[in-house]
Amino acid sequence: MSAIELTSVSRWYGNVVAVNDITMSIGPGVTGLLGPNGAGKSTILHMIAGFLAPSKGTLTIGGKPSWENPEIYRSLGLVPERDSVYAFLTGEQFVNATAKLHKLPDPDAATRRAIEMTDMAAAKDRRIATYSKGMRQRIKVAAALVHDPEILLLDEPFNGMDPRQRLHMMDLLGKLGAEGRVILFSSHILEEVEKVSGTIQVMVAGRLAASGDFRAIRRLMTSRPHVFNVRSSDDRKLAAVLVGRPYTNAVEFTGRGSLQVRTSDFGAFCAQIAVLTRENGIALRELLPTDESLESVFGYLIAGSSSSSAQGQGS
Amino acid sequence: MPADTPTATTGAAAGVIHDLGYRRYDGPRLGRVQMVRALTWHSFRSAFGFGRGAKAKIVPAIAFVALLLPAVVNAASMANGNGRLVFYDTYQPVLRDLVMTIFVAVQAPELVSRDLRSRVLPLYFARPIKTSDYPLAKYLAFTAACAVMMEVPLLVLYLGTIVNVHGGAEVWAQTREFIPGLLVGLMWAVVLAAISLFLASLTGRRAFATGTVAIFFLATYTLAEILLQVENHGIRQQQAQSIQNAGHFVAPAVPMAEQVSGLFSPFTLFDGVRMWLSGHGTGQSDNVLYPGSFGAVYALVLVVLLAACLTGLFARYRKAARLS
Amino acid sequence: MSAFFNPVIASITVRATLGRRRTLLFAIPAVVLIALTLAVRASHPAGSSWEAQILGDFGFSVLLPLLALIIGTGVLGAEIDDGSAIHLLATPVRRGSIVLTKWVVAAVLTMLFAAVPELIAGLLAPSSGKLAFALFVGALVGSVIYTAVFVLASVLTTRAIAAGLLYVLIWEGLLGNIVGGARILSIAHYSLGVANAIYPDKDLNAGLGLSTSLVLGIVVTVGALVLASRRLSSFAIKGEPA
Repeated sequence: MSAIELTSVSRWYGNVVAVNDITMSIGPGVTGLLGPNGAGKSTILHMIAGFLAPSKGTLTIGGKPSWENPEIYRSLGLVPERDSVYAFLTGEQFVNATAKLHKLPDPDAATRRAIEMTDMAAAKDRRIATYSKGMRQRIKVAAALVHDPEILLLDEPFNGMDPRQRLHMMDLLGKLGAEGRVILFSSHILEEVEKVSGTIQVMVAGRLAASGDFRAIRRLMTSRPHVFNVRSSDDRKLAAVLVGRPYTNAVEFTGRGSLQVRTSDFGAFCAQIAVLTRENGIALRELLPTDESLESVFGYLIAGSSSSSAQGQGS
Repeated sequence: MPADTPTATTGAAAGVIHDLGYRRYDGPRLGRVQMVRALTWHSFRSAFGFGRGAKAKIVPAIAFVALLLPAVVNAASMANGNGRLVFYDTYQPVLRDLVMTIFVAVQAPELVSRDLRSRVLPLYFARPIKTSDYPLAKYLAFTAACAVMMEVPLLVLYLGTIVNVHGGAEVWAQTREFIPGLLVGLMWAVVLAAISLFLASLTGRRAFATGTVAIFFLATYTLAEILLQVENHGIRQQQAQSIQNAGHFVAPAVPMAEQVSGLFSPFTLFDGVRMWLSGHGTGQSDNVLYPGSFGAVYALVLVVLLAACLTGLFARYRKAARLS
Repeated sequence: MSAFFNPVIASITVRATLGRRRTLLFAIPAVVLIALTLAVRASHPAGSSWEAQILGDFGFSVLLPLLALIIGTGVLGAEIDDGSAIHLLATPVRRGSIVLTKWVVAAVLTMLFAAVPELIAGLLAPSSGKLAFALFVGALVGSVIYTAVFVLASVLTTRAIAAGLLYVLIWEGLLGNIVGGARILSIAHYSLGVANAIYPDKDLNAGLGLSTSLVLGIVVTVGALVLASRRLSSFAIKGEPA
């Protein structure tokens, strides 16, 4: 049904700009909102969830704004970051109450389903005050899922979860995303985002630094060279050959029996390396791109942004 | 970004970790006294809303200005040649009761309830201070804050009177009245701080703590007032009359029921003790009638109340330290 | 469709407000009121005007507004303060319905802990049952109006209790009795006006007539609830509270 559309959205508090002219579109599947603390991720999530109005720009969900529009919650579930729930209720009572507030036709069945989905069946009759932090997160997710929403917003959902719970949550989000729902979650932990989401939106200091598939983003950053680890039968000879090629920026011996090659032209290198080795009688044993990880993308984006913002001060 | 790894040509697992992050501190460390002093100063400031946003300063500011008003009005009126309107030891009783109630009800939770709510007590107690240092610091700070609220208006009153008075003898006479007034203010501060901090430390929710303290003071005050008025058999008029007739204070005979009525509220206890110690009542603006030797009971009850609240306060934090 | 009172919200609110030791705390002033009445009655069988004082000064002027303050600011304010309100607001329940339900709970609880003890104390006092009834009705009216205003206050600001305290003590306590015109904006006087109309008693110091009190009371109550609903519709999370 609905895509989340942001058009030139800005939000400021007095002199502090929390979100700066962001235009993005979020569709079905799992999208990760990535950024360091203070980047504005929570602000964006609260605005999408209808709990904050943009100072400028338009924000719509399925064509309708979410601000001052309680009807939107029929198809939207929010898992806030703050650890506050009605501590005196049991887990089941909390989810059940939420189901009734959503005016579901069969709140008990919905409650059971939601609790099972989040693997909280064992603890559902205990008071939330006795839950650990990870359990509280999960019960919040259960309450956000109880009305089967199309859109699910999660603010730092993996906070406080142990590895097993985290894997379970990632599975759940992946499954929900595969069903065609719009899942948007924020995190500053790269591995989480890497494992679950297809698309990422990277926010740095209120601005959208990059969006899309992270591998594609990496490829777009041609100014920073790609780094490959190459293992072959004759490293020295291969190095000499590579140095002569125009797409090679640098070649380094790692001392562990492999070669580290920096190249600015990803496409040319990939196309040529096999031909090159065969022509020179070298057996290519291993070819590894070493910094395709989100970490390097992320780090590069932040470094780039901070240096450019340092230059662009005072505007 | 990545830690620098040396390109060791030796090949083997040569790794160096550069100690860039965590560094030890080997310099001088301040002791327990300084810690308590820092905590006291910080708490004192937060009693007036400093160290938080502007909104936290509203209530203390209003309270402070409200208490200053009588002193300012008095100075202005004396400048016009009138006599002194306000007494040092009673000041403006109703105003003081109400304003101090509001002040301690709203500010005591700022000192103690906030820490309970955000569960920072383990951070405090993981330092080399004794468990009792925390409530001690809070109590000293809040007593000082209440003392400021009480004594500064008295000081302004005194100064405002001095400048309008001529002759060293007059100044000395004013000073002789001023000092007991200061002592009364100190008594107020010491006891009010203890009661309000104890009540506020029972809960982490600020709003709830404020409500509890407010209800306690107001309910006890109204209770005592009612009992006094009910048990009163026209003695108050007699007392005022006898002062007028005799030109000096005459201690009336007050029935026991009425004496006891004054025990039910801290504010009436203050008045009772003040009158007992000073040997006379001021007549018109007193809540309680002159207690005579029964004043010793007032003093005793006051001391017991103070001790109970302080014990409760310290006990509360012994328990909190164990729990959190 | 019940677009007004929401039983789910009501039950959660009642449980949240009366949890743990709080019921005890609310009951204490009521018990004190009744005990006081009994004690004074025992020592003064032929009551003078003390009923009006105990019931009026203690029950009406202290107990009622302060309990209404704590309960009224607590029903919505506590959840806004600790962030659990967001779970309630992230549902399609109408904001007006939320405000109305919470107000009803607050008003009923205040009636239970302030107005009913007032009635009991009044009936125990030997003089006039009519006075007791009048004050009871006045307290019911007061519960309704006070809680509406305090619920509004809790939506407008996080320091609702401090503001409410200033209102009750300074505005109603001090000024309302000194400055005549302040009565028009004093909820205590609306309630007193109603009580006085049922059983006129000069010791009540009621300054307003019945129609004035009722009209103003209704205007204030409805206005407060409408305003609170509007403000709740544009409830914004402004980052971590200080």
